[in-house]
Amino acid sequence: MPSRTPLPKPMHRLNYTKLTEAQISAALAPVAVAGPAHASPLSDEFVGQTVKIVTDNGPTLEYKFSTNSKLTVAENGAKAITAGYGALTLDHICFFTHLIPGTLRGYSVIIDRDSKVATVVEVWFGGFEDKREVMREIYQGYVATAGGTPPVKRNVANNRAEGKGWYWKQDNGWETIDYWSTVAYTHWVEVSRKAEMGFSAPADYIQISEDFYIYTRTECEFSGTFTIYVADLNRAKQIGLRLGFDWGDALDYYVFKGKGEWLGQTAQFEKFGDLKGGPIRPNPASTGQAGAVAPTAKGARAVYRPARTMEKLTREEVAKVPSSVFAGRLGSANGTGGMGVHALPASKFLIGKTFTLRFDGGTAVDYKVSKIDELQWRKNGGPWVTAIYQAYEPAPGVILFGHLLEGEPDRDGYSIVIDFDAGLVTCFNGYLNGPYFANEAQARTLVGVIEMEGITPPLYKRHQRTWDLVGREISWNYAPNLTSMHLYSTPSTTSWIIFTADGAGGLQWSGPGDFIKIRDELYFAYWLEEACNGTLGTIVVNLRTMHDAGIGYHCGKSGLSMSPVGALGRHAGKFDVKRFFDSKA
Amino acid sequence: MSEENTPTRRSFLKGGAIIAAPLAAVGLPAAALAADGRAEKLARLEAEKAIRELHQGWLRQVNSGNFAAAAQLYANGKCSAALNGVCAAVPDQAGEADALEFASDGKRASATYAFVVESETLIPADNTLAQMRHAQGEAMVRTSERRTLKADYVQTREDGWAIAKLDFAQA
Repeated sequence: MPSRTPLPKPMHRLNYTKLTEAQISAALAPVAVAGPAHASPLSDEFVGQTVKIVTDNGPTLEYKFSTNSKLTVAENGAKAITAGYGALTLDHICFFTHLIPGTLRGYSVIIDRDSKVATVVEVWFGGFEDKREVMREIYQGYVATAGGTPPVKRNVANNRAEGKGWYWKQDNGWETIDYWSTVAYTHWVEVSRKAEMGFSAPADYIQISEDFYIYTRTECEFSGTFTIYVADLNRAKQIGLRLGFDWGDALDYYVFKGKGEWLGQTAQFEKFGDLKGGPIRPNPASTGQAGAVAPTAKGARAVYRPARTMEKLTREEVAKVPSSVFAGRLGSANGTGGMGVHALPASKFLIGKTFTLRFDGGTAVDYKVSKIDELQWRKNGGPWVTAIYQAYEPAPGVILFGHLLEGEPDRDGYSIVIDFDAGLVTCFNGYLNGPYFANEAQARTLVGVIEMEGITPPLYKRHQRTWDLVGREISWNYAPNLTSMHLYSTPSTTSWIIFTADGAGGLQWSGPGDFIKIRDELYFAYWLEEACNGTLGTIVVNLRTMHDAGIGYHCGKSGLSMSPVGALGRHAGKFDVKRFFDSKA
Repeated sequence: MSEENTPTRRSFLKGGAIIAAPLAAVGLPAAALAADGRAEKLARLEAEKAIRELHQGWLRQVNSGNFAAAAQLYANGKCSAALNGVCAAVPDQAGEADALEFASDGKRASATYAFVVESETLIPADNTLAQMRHAQGEAMVRTSERRTLKADYVQTREDGWAIAKLDFAQA
């Protein structure tokens, strides 16, 4: 059963053991014979039966079920092998799963008792360079009956499930929020662990009927654990399997029933009538793919593996790379380069102004602004430093501006929002030399006031963190053919979804986020590409204009950059999830 | 070449039809017309036919992606540059009529064609979003827009023509 113990680090920071095939085999051996663990009674649906499953482009499996936990299986006419199994049913949908003793493989099978249509999911360990990552291949087929005519219908991967959100509680008490974000990816939050962040992983969505869907998730780049379940959309029930090694290398191999809640549906952006589903095929020639995987290879699909492909610099290298501030594209991996096509025009608002930003905690930064792109700053009464900056006015009287703090040991950058009407200021302070990768941006959030002639700074009032955006999805079009969709899945997460050329949601990733309310419908937010490309993206989200204004901060081999960000937004919807993150929950 | 062209244009090619025009309006040397108008008219029609076939052959190669074969129709190595990023060129039936002009010596010609051009551009992988597009096999962005192809032709032999210059201009 899954552990409720909070992870010692966020999931993307754990050093998962490189399990060997021998270690995996040793762990699988006893459960391959005994069958999966279970909290609810196993179904006796198949006891005493012989079932032959024929798949269109895959194996033929002949089963004999002696009890509710023992079966024999013959693959493609080979000698039958005895294995433990577990079966569960959900109305007329039957699910069973087993491993093949002596191997690293197994099957999960879903059968529609009424139509005899079947889906076979073959799973195996050892197929990727991380042996612990469970691979899967999915075959569509049917149950062959003596003298019967095979059904023509097949279960099908399509986009009908895209954009749904679910809360699930399994019969073992395990709770998750599962966002069915794209046709090929999912985003999930481990509610049982009181997880602050959600994570993204490749998924499959296969429609059985209007009521029933098959969902799979492989936690690639994390534990590698595989989850499959059949969901009854109307009744919010599920039956399924979890197979894999947790962060402590304990084997999870159990079947579960669950009940849940539908949390919402967000918009889809495919053309009407376009129902194409996943998976997205791998592109071995391109960034983000590890290994040369043929698009049609068994188990092949596009998997985003950013921690493997990101540029990684040492502290010494970070200290030496040149800086480039609002200079456009720098070259490969330039953080937010190219995301400023829809940037707001540079604002002249700050020209001629002299002011002090006094942050809670003691830091005070004085400013003298002379030009539209040049200012002087000094920190805590230190020497004046001239810096290139860029300012935008995302709402009247609200100024976003950013600059690097040359001379600071961690090569800090400020992205600052000042509300000149309220006298309040928030700064997302990016900096380098963090504990994991030296060039990976870190962020701290500073709040305070502005001191300037004509402004009376509040004594007590400050910008506040907000959950107003939690559960929302907003698409952001940064440039022609460069659109992503943010999913603010938890109060501390920004996830981003990449669209395919057909407008379907494709690959997805996520990182920490922070969200500050500036005014009604005006928010200052960031996403942090931790264990990704290391970019800190900061944006002022204006829900009235649906146009964001932002500043990116990134350090790579080509330099430390600060870049403009701007995008046109579309509100895709909102999931009812805030209640799951309340402290009382 | 344009300074030597006669100003009259003659629609041709579109739909395969050659539109008849008054002989005097055709850009052939006046002396030649006076000497034997019918022979020159025949020569002109044969030249038009040859250029039409050259153009259609070039179009087939371009739209089948066989740019090497298309290059065999060029008089020089500079023509290929016009096809950088172009992956398809479809005659624009709603565009301006195609037109052909011959130079006064009858050995060179210029034509304009209305096209809908599909082109592919590599998305620079300089941000995470673009890198993810690359990872999902969508590194190229395909766009479609109306363009006017300006083509120059040169007679290479008695009965042969080659493409001397190509330029896809904004329509």
